[in-house]
Amino acid sequence: MTRTSARALAVARPIIQVLLVLNLLYAAGITLLLVSSFFRPDWPWVPLGYDMHAADPALPLGLRAIMVIGLVGIAIVHVILRRLLAIVGTVRGGNPFISDNVGRLQAIAWGVLGIEALRLMVAAISRAVSTATQPVHMGSGFSFAPWLSVLLLFVLAGVFTQGARMRDDLEGTV
Amino acid sequence: MAITVRLDDLLHARRMTLTELAARVDITLANLSILKTGKAKAIRFSTLEAICAALECQPGDLLGFDADPPAGQ
Repeated sequence: MTRTSARALAVARPIIQVLLVLNLLYAAGITLLLVSSFFRPDWPWVPLGYDMHAADPALPLGLRAIMVIGLVGIAIVHVILRRLLAIVGTVRGGNPFISDNVGRLQAIAWGVLGIEALRLMVAAISRAVSTATQPVHMGSGFSFAPWLSVLLLFVLAGVFTQGARMRDDLEGTV
Repeated sequence: MAITVRLDDLLHARRMTLTELAARVDITLANLSILKTGKAKAIRFSTLEAICAALECQPGDLLGFDADPPAGQ
């Protein structure tokens, strides 16, 4: 293992743990905004900078839908981070080529795919409630990188499948 | 397993202990023990060569094929 990889591995665990906490705080914040939006008129749309008189009447509904999608995304990110933490643990333990990691990598790949699908849904909702007088810019157009990441993750899972098989072969070899 | 390992017999014939062999062939005692008890799944040519050199034998002296292994193996 190179010095850079060793350093990256050493900091990966605390960084992932911090991201897990931040992700949960993000979930709490969005939940709070979503729930409070039902009790206070124009909250939190007006503080967020939306002019409700100029906006599409369906804007609150659209923004609430985007919040729910955000919560689903946060749940997926949580699963991805937990799986990644487990993989980092096996790498630190010196035995990453196990079948459990194949399943974890596949779960991460599906998770990234799911997040990309959610991002496209957010972009679609955003376009639907956007008007000339009150434009809404959320989510963005097609991006090549996340889809490439999904592909790479599935390929990596295949590499780990082969690695786990080779590792099994080596076990018991003297 | 149908492949039998006769390391115990060879060691006995040469009045050598497993620990002494481990020191000579530079293989851990744990790995040699796995080989001796027939629990090894595979053996490297380098291991075979080192053992044969230390025990002055041929690979065929160390390994055998039992076409009719005892039940449960």
